[in-house]
Amino acid sequence: MSDEEEYGFIEEYGFISKLIGPKKRWRAYKARTKQLPENYRTAVEAIERYMMHFVPSDADSDASRFEDLADLFEQAAADGTSIRQVVGGDPVEFVEAFVQNYSEGGYVPARARKRLADDIERAAGQDAGNDDKTA
Amino acid sequence: MAKLLTEMLKGTLEGVILASLSGRPAYGYEITARLREQGFSDIAEGTIYALLIRMEKRGLVDVEKVPSEKGPPRKVHSLNDQGREYLEEFWRTWSFLAERLEQLREGGG
Repeated sequence: MSDEEEYGFIEEYGFISKLIGPKKRWRAYKARTKQLPENYRTAVEAIERYMMHFVPSDADSDASRFEDLADLFEQAAADGTSIRQVVGGDPVEFVEAFVQNYSEGGYVPARARKRLADDIERAAGQDAGNDDKTA
Repeated sequence: MAKLLTEMLKGTLEGVILASLSGRPAYGYEITARLREQGFSDIAEGTIYALLIRMEKRGLVDVEKVPSEKGPPRKVHSLNDQGREYLEEFWRTWSFLAERLEQLREGGG
């Protein structure tokens, strides 16, 4: 089966993916995250990396999990919500709740959980002045 | 204590969010802020957001995109009829559970 036929099949799901292909949606998502403040982008990329361990339910879920993630962090940056306030004390807990909407499951190695926690810690540490709201 | 509260909240957070939305529609940030004011101080905004997406997929809330002065359009969530039904069911279940627990406490099991 050629690539084109394969995409033709995948795009049976979801009306948005009928208009815009998965590769374009991914590129659009990446372009959006580039516009974020640096520490928010670091956090998004860490969550993105973690979510790669999960098997998406379908092609539309695969794309919309990243688009919804971008929505969340664009909104947070606009509202001045700190990274800690967005992801909470335990980022693994947040991401697991989030990814459930798009995936039946996956296998996450322990080191990936640690890496997510470390990356978020680093990104949240660069949050200037916002963290005092998280009492 | 904080850990126990987090665990207990997990099963009730959907109901908590629906109850908050039954007053009036709101977007993620507002809901989180309201709940914080009401003493749910440890809730992550992202977790609320994740649950809102889940409830949207299950048809319990309607979403409307409203343009905002700063930043991207806001997704304002409102409770629909199915959500209202679910919320009633949630309160019935909550009362049942609370009653049983109270009985356990008084009767010592």
